[in-house]
Amino acid sequence: MAKLFVVLLDDSRLKKLEGSGLEKKVSKLFGGALNAFNLEVSDEHAAKILEEFGTARIDSRGAITDVPIAFNRVVFDEIAKKKSLGPEVMDGVLARVAEIKEAAAKESEFLPAPEIEV
Amino acid sequence: MSIRIERPEPHGGRLIDRVVTDPAAGKKLAKGCPALDIKPTVDEKGTPVRNVYREIMSTCYGFFSPVEGSMRQAEVERILKERRLLNEWIFPYPLVFDVSEEDHKKLGITSGDRVLLKLKGKPFAILDVEEIYEIDPEELATKTFGTPEANPEVVKEPFNKKHPGWVIYKSLNRIIYAGKYKIINEPKLRSPFDRFWFPPKKCREEFDRRGWRTVINHQTRNVPHVGHEHLMKNAAYTGDLEPCHGILVNAVIGVKRKGDYPDEAIVEGHEAVNLGGYIKPERHMVSILLWDMRYGNPLESLLHGIVRQNMGCTHHMFGRDHAAVGEYYDMYATQILWGKGVPSFGFDKPVNEVPYGLKIKAQNMAEFWYCPKCGEIAYSGSCGHTKEKQKFSGSFIRGMVAEGVFPPGVIFRPEVYKVAVKWWKHYGYPFVTPKYLVEREKELEVDLADMDI
Ligand SMILES: [Zn+2]
Repeated sequence: MAKLFVVLLDDSRLKKLEGSGLEKKVSKLFGGALNAFNLEVSDEHAAKILEEFGTARIDSRGAITDVPIAFNRVVFDEIAKKKSLGPEVMDGVLARVAEIKEAAAKESEFLPAPEIEV
Repeated sequence: MSIRIERPEPHGGRLIDRVVTDPAAGKKLAKGCPALDIKPTVDEKGTPVRNVYREIMSTCYGFFSPVEGSMRQAEVERILKERRLLNEWIFPYPLVFDVSEEDHKKLGITSGDRVLLKLKGKPFAILDVEEIYEIDPEELATKTFGTPEANPEVVKEPFNKKHPGWVIYKSLNRIIYAGKYKIINEPKLRSPFDRFWFPPKKCREEFDRRGWRTVINHQTRNVPHVGHEHLMKNAAYTGDLEPCHGILVNAVIGVKRKGDYPDEAIVEGHEAVNLGGYIKPERHMVSILLWDMRYGNPLESLLHGIVRQNMGCTHHMFGRDHAAVGEYYDMYATQILWGKGVPSFGFDKPVNEVPYGLKIKAQNMAEFWYCPKCGEIAYSGSCGHTKEKQKFSGSFIRGMVAEGVFPPGVIFRPEVYKVAVKWWKHYGYPFVTPKYLVEREKELEVDLADMDI
């Protein structure tokens, strides 16, 4: 059975998706206050993710969690680039494993701050 | 009987003030004394877990009134037995000035001597040594927090090196200098902590200026999410004839743990709650306490009560698992202490009904969550929508923050979140890192002027 991956969406992320038609696929978390995608992940892709990232696991809902934070960011990046929630998203993510691992190695000391005015 | 509640007296009857504000006078007091550099207490891996300077500050500025210094052996023993000082007033923790064998040998101090304590290389305080004795740090650590055998009402598991408070006591040097402290070179709080520095005397004056008679305290070590804000607002409906006039946030600033937000983000995050008008500044103020948390749940709540009563508060909010880590204590241990007492700690009645006890009143609160059905942040004691409720899970919120997703308004107020991001940009990380911890313990929260003695 396919797994899923939850992609949280804020306003700036939604803006990057404008006109993609993906807006209709947004699901609600936190009682409707928080937008997200439930991205379907094939078993083959899921196995690859578990193999590449030691901390990753599949929780009781079948969601892939505990991946590096950089992984989450790249998933959204690929969705925005491909304007899709299809398997090509994970193909794109997995093609960037080296980049994710490099960022992940620094994650205990550095995380890029969001580009917002403070 | 009037239901009007007046501001309580300080614990012990008067505020301790052991700060010499005139540098010339301070210099005179320290003249000719042997000097000792204050060093952090470190655990077995060499990580700083406590700096006694914070205890000296909190003692001399009156936060810990009526404590005046490092405790004598008889006082430590009395605290461990019945949580009372030698002058009868209740107090939860032994507080001592410990010295390494090497320093002790080098100094050649005996009781009756005065020691000059230096901080960051500058003269800071004096300690008039009344007694020198030895402790067994591990035994002190265990007796301080209690054991399941000796304190079955509240202690569930034996304390060990996974408990940060136990580690503080276990890491002390064996030699103790007991005696009163006096700050002789008044430190300047560093920015942004300076504007949140309200020692009890100044804090009471500030309450007067604001016309606050009833004030409820909120203890924090967190950047406030909307659940915290609602806890504050709702708990403050208690009071007397009317809700509490003021809400005092008192942030504990000291050694941090992994996953904590930086101290700067914590204090400015709380300030953003009032600057954003969510609780208007006329009703809400932010302050700090310098203290390396012992995570002693009921005992910590007792210390919190003492400090906030000294600051002039009439009420104190407590949640379950107050100042707790792990499952060493019953999750309601603080409620038990304030609700019926813990005889094995020396209290056969609630701590504000025993002689020489506290005057501040406990406001025990349960949980707040977001309920889409109620359409609001709801109180767990009211909202019956257990299926719909959305809890404020710390790990979920931290995960969202780490990913850089702007949280929805029901989780973080945008002004508060922006403060967290401001310090994230400053440190390159939203939470404390090992590097931050090392730097902070080197810089501390204060700077001192040169003083030629
Ligand atoms: Zn509800």
